[in-house]
Amino acid sequence: MVSELSVESHERDGVVLLYPSGFINAHTVRLFEGALQKAIEGGCYRIVVSGAGLRYVASAGLGALMGVIEEVRTNGGDIRIAELNETVSNIFEMLGFNHLYRIFPSEQEAVSSFREASGRKPRASA
Amino acid sequence: MSVRKRRALPTVVLRVPSGTEFLAAIRDTTKRVAELAGCDEATAAQVALAVDEAATNVIEHAYAGEADRFVELGFDCPPGELVVEIVDDGRPVDRRSLPSVDLRRYARERRRGGFGVHLMGRIMDRVSFRRRGRCNVCSMVKKLPAAGAQEAR
Repeated sequence: MVSELSVESHERDGVVLLYPSGFINAHTVRLFEGALQKAIEGGCYRIVVSGAGLRYVASAGLGALMGVIEEVRTNGGDIRIAELNETVSNIFEMLGFNHLYRIFPSEQEAVSSFREASGRKPRASA
Repeated sequence: MSVRKRRALPTVVLRVPSGTEFLAAIRDTTKRVAELAGCDEATAAQVALAVDEAATNVIEHAYAGEADRFVELGFDCPPGELVVEIVDDGRPVDRRSLPSVDLRRYARERRRGGFGVHLMGRIMDRVSFRRRGRCNVCSMVKKLPAAGAQEAR
C-alpha cells in the first residue's frame, strides 16, 4: 500500500525541521502529531514545518499544530511554517492560520527568523 | 476563441466503508468529479477538502470511529452547480449552524478539532444538514463557472 504521508525530521542551528510529505488528513495525522510531539519531548521548542512536499492538509493537520502551539510558545519557542504550495497556503489563509503562525517563503528564512528573535518571545503569541 | 458547451455530468454515487483509510478514495473521486463538472484544479482540490472534512465528521462523530459502517456520497450537477450529498445512518448529529472559529481561544484551550465544518462553509457556497428517515444528510453546493469559461482559457 502506498504511504500517504511521511515525515522526516532534522535539526539545524537549534531548530527542528519537520518535512511532511504527502497528505495530512484524519487518517495520517497521528504520524504528523508524533513528529511534533517528539520534537517537544526532546526539549526543542523551535520548530519549522517545511511544507514543500505537502500536497494537501485537512483540518486534522491544522488541529495538530493548534494542539501544541500554546505549549511551544509558553516555553519561549514557536512553530514556523515554510515553503507551502498554493493549495496548502490557501487552506491556511482560509482558516486565518496566517495570522496565528509566521509563514515564510523559504525554509532558510524560517530558520534564520529564530536567530533574529533570539532571546525574545515570538510576537505572534496566542 | 471557440466556446464549447459543457456536457451534462451523470449522477455519480460512491459508497465506501467508514474507515479513515478510504478518505483518499473520497478525496480523489471528488476532485475528479469537480473537474469534470467544470471546476479548475485549485477549486476542485478545495471541494475535495470540503468533502473530506464532511466524511471525516461522519466517521468520527456519527459513527464514533466504527469502521464497519458505510458513507455514501452522491454527486449531481444541476445547471450551474455541483451538489454533493454525504449520507450516513449513524447517530443523529445536531448541526443547525456553522460554527465560528476563534483561533486564539482555540490555541489557549489546545483544541485540535472544530475547524472542519468551518472549512466546509468557507469553501462551499451552501452547506446544510438534515435528517432523512434514519440517516444524516449533509448537502453542499458549489457554484460552477459559466459553461465555456474553462475551455475558453
